[in-house]
Amino acid sequence: MKKKQKVASQQTRREVLKSLSALTIAGTFPSIAFSQAKTVNIGVILPLSGANAQFGINSRQGIELVVDEINNGGGLKNLGGAKINLVIADSTSTPTTAATVAQRMIAENDCCAILGAFASSLTLAISEVTERRGIPLLTMSYSDQLTGRGFKTVFQVTSKGSAIGKAQLDYAVQLAGGTKINKVAILYEDTAYGTSTATGLRAAAKAANIEIVMDEAYPLGIIDVTPLINKLRASNAQIVFPVSYLNDSLLIVRALRQQKVNIPIVGGSAGYVIPDFSQALGDYANGVLSICSANYDLDPALTNKYRKRYNSFMVHEALEHAVALDVLAQAINISKSTAPEGIIQALHSTTFTEGWAKAMTNGKVKFDDTGLNIYAEPLMLQWQKKELVTVWPKSYAKGKFIARNAS
Amino acid sequence: MSFLQAILDGLMLGGVYAVISIGLTLVFGVVSIVNFAQAEFLMLGMYVAYFVWRYLGLDPILGSLISFAAVFVLGFFVQQFLIRRVLKAPEVAQIFLTVGILICLENLALIFFGSEYRSVQTSYQNEALEFLGLIISMPYLIAFIASGIAGGFIWWVLTKTWWGRAVRATAQNPMAAKLMGINTDQMYRIAFGLGVGLTAFGGAIILPYLTVSPSVGGQFGVLMFTVVVLGGLGNVLGAVVGGIAVGVIQSLSGLFLPIQLQNIALFIIFIATLAFRPEGLLRKSL
Amino acid sequence: MNTQPIQKYCPLALFILLCSIPWLLTDQGYAIRVLTLLLLFAAMAQSWNIVGGLANQISLGHAAFFGIGAYASTILLIRFNLSPWLGILVAMILAGLTGGLLSLPTMKLRGHYFALATLAFGEVMRAIANTWSSVTGGPVGISVPFSPNAGLGMMQFKSTIPYYFMMLAALTITTFIFWKISHSKLGYELRAVKANVDSAEVIGIDTTRTKIIASVISAALMGACGVLYAQFNFFFDPDSAFSLVGISIRVALICIIGGIGTVFGPLIGACFLLPLEEIFNAFLSGKGAGYSQLAYGVILIGIILLEPRGLTTLFKQAVQRIKA
Repeated sequence: MKKKQKVASQQTRREVLKSLSALTIAGTFPSIAFSQAKTVNIGVILPLSGANAQFGINSRQGIELVVDEINNGGGLKNLGGAKINLVIADSTSTPTTAATVAQRMIAENDCCAILGAFASSLTLAISEVTERRGIPLLTMSYSDQLTGRGFKTVFQVTSKGSAIGKAQLDYAVQLAGGTKINKVAILYEDTAYGTSTATGLRAAAKAANIEIVMDEAYPLGIIDVTPLINKLRASNAQIVFPVSYLNDSLLIVRALRQQKVNIPIVGGSAGYVIPDFSQALGDYANGVLSICSANYDLDPALTNKYRKRYNSFMVHEALEHAVALDVLAQAINISKSTAPEGIIQALHSTTFTEGWAKAMTNGKVKFDDTGLNIYAEPLMLQWQKKELVTVWPKSYAKGKFIARNAS
Repeated sequence: MSFLQAILDGLMLGGVYAVISIGLTLVFGVVSIVNFAQAEFLMLGMYVAYFVWRYLGLDPILGSLISFAAVFVLGFFVQQFLIRRVLKAPEVAQIFLTVGILICLENLALIFFGSEYRSVQTSYQNEALEFLGLIISMPYLIAFIASGIAGGFIWWVLTKTWWGRAVRATAQNPMAAKLMGINTDQMYRIAFGLGVGLTAFGGAIILPYLTVSPSVGGQFGVLMFTVVVLGGLGNVLGAVVGGIAVGVIQSLSGLFLPIQLQNIALFIIFIATLAFRPEGLLRKSL
Repeated sequence: MNTQPIQKYCPLALFILLCSIPWLLTDQGYAIRVLTLLLLFAAMAQSWNIVGGLANQISLGHAAFFGIGAYASTILLIRFNLSPWLGILVAMILAGLTGGLLSLPTMKLRGHYFALATLAFGEVMRAIANTWSSVTGGPVGISVPFSPNAGLGMMQFKSTIPYYFMMLAALTITTFIFWKISHSKLGYELRAVKANVDSAEVIGIDTTRTKIIASVISAALMGACGVLYAQFNFFFDPDSAFSLVGISIRVALICIIGGIGTVFGPLIGACFLLPLEEIFNAFLSGKGAGYSQLAYGVILIGIILLEPRGLTTLFKQAVQRIKA
């Protein structure tokens, strides 16, 4: 009896010891923090894996283009020529992982600011972390929620989603010219990006007295869009406004062609304005319109640098991230230190007219109290021979709108 | 009209779902294991067909045969080295072994193939036939026909060949089968290989109208399980009936419900069947 | 007789150690966050242990209760400014109720069928959360409102240390409940049901009532953990709160690897798995996608083939062998 108890207690003790050692190992994490003088750490969180990997890679390329420019041009002048060190991490495609990555980055890498994360849902999650830690977050994501929560540390270089959605419909109607538009269809992926843009589309349709005959959200990972296209055909819409990332944009356009639904397509940016869209669809891509927050043909002098280095036109997410980094660097220079509070102050109070800020609409960038860039305006683009041409509004148009004949 | 269109689409989809699910029900019927990793073999089948298309230029419909063969071999070994060890173990072990296989396969695919979506380009991908005002999508049609052929082939193997009868005998009574001189271990290996190979075949033939990524299995998992539960776990004919039923239900629900709710309808049918009629709609066994 | 105190004091020593660790680490730092989550997952695994370990009902859908707890508390916080402390109560009631209701139709299902049904239920909850946007915010997710001045009353803290202790409390409570049930009449009944349902009925055990009670308790505890998670992470969406692989399978895995049905199993399992994942993520970020999960899968298969009863048993066996 005694022996049994002794064995039992020894085993319990050993169990406990094992837990202890496991915990100790778990608790002493290598927390290496290099503190090199003369470098400024800027965090970059982008989807480098998952469905949005291509967008993440494009964005990173835009950032790298600018960081090399800055570092090779003498670094940050007001900080003694300090170079920018990019700390790049994969946000993956889940918002909670993105938030964890942000937490880890702030705790481990001493970043004074963060750029990211392309997809609104990811950026929203990250912003929850950065706001609580007082670190500025610069982004080109659209969702209205980003600037709608009264946060002080979010800076968005693009227009907000509902404004983009509104322009998507209004510009399309204007381009339709003589033809009266009565019935339209809205299809959108159901995360923050699609939902915000759809809100704008709906409001614009209501204001213009246009009937929305189909208004459907679909799950982001959708693999078969046939039921949606069936509904679309039955609805007799004159124009379809899909808001999608890449995979769904391809599925939708292919299905439309296959089911012989030949109404004009006016996309909602993201999947509709990336080179892969044109590569995958070939001729089917020609003539497709899409709203967008920026375009490379507004300032070829700057954007051709990207084309030379990466062999493709500068996609809008690359452009906008380039603008974000450049504006951030200017703000760091203005605040003369890497303290986040100073950078935030500089970002709120400066009108940026130099460098990459010129590549945005109106040639300038200024953030209001909510973090929105007041000079950003949406643009309507059209695929013409594998290039994206700005066709509306007239003040920005670099090419003529080619009305596609029903084929 | 869109009602008829939905039914037509559902029927064709259903045929494919049937072929994909026969594999799952076969594995359960013979090996008595619920293979939670079944959908990952579908994903593998799609990848094999994709790479065969990309590097050998073979159309996925032909590539599907290679998918079948490759995954059959894989399944053979998985049965031999992994599944066999837990055949007599408690259910916890069986469940989590296949869950472990699921996790491994999906992440191996992620590591080796990357997470990008890949799709093939075939000549008939964007075509459709028009018939009495209904549109018949070409890739759907071809997949449906291929499924029919595959289904017929399996039926022939199971009923008319010696192998098939041996497999069925093992399913009905392993002890008796052994006494009759059948190598039951070999039968298990063949059955498992056949099961996952069929699912892989199904994946390959739907590649023309879908895209493949490491996580595509998750989309089909629910579907497959609903099909086999409806038809009765282990009942091959049931998988066919269940497949068509699920295809039509899914397609019709797409008309009336927002597309996000499609899966909920399926799940509820799934749980209800499990709760009230676990043996499935049809009562016969393999 | 003098070995009894040692048995009693070891868990106490462990507890004291756990209480002192956070003060040694940088606040809001990486390590303490990992440990806090580790404790939470151990608590979740312990909740699962009640049905998985004691009743042998393998649930692959426990995320359903977790998510219900997280959403219920957060929605009430947003709409009615209800303190999360009360939110925990509501979460436990809702989750417990759901657990009880779910166990009614699934009670008679054995092994695989039960696992399938619970898996499907978890996915149903996820789909509902994704679709019912007006209440849950849909796929966009939901955030716990940020008020810089909130404090204990609203379960919001600047420092990570209070969260650490909350999770420690959760683990302690769930472990205590598990231990209590294990040594109680209910535990005896559950073991009887696990061994042979029909025989259990014969000796007069109301197997229905037994299973339902275990389900309710397990679900309620899981729901409470959901609230803690929501308050700690302040942001979640349906795909993470109701995640099949991230929550349901993970807590089952932690419990199994550590030792299903044992008191310390969940903690051991968590100490083993979570740091492993963090190591992979930290050192392979970007390329890390897949490697840590693959490690999970391989370890799971390894444990199942080697010793399905988990690390605890493996360790005990090794100790026996050394002694002999």
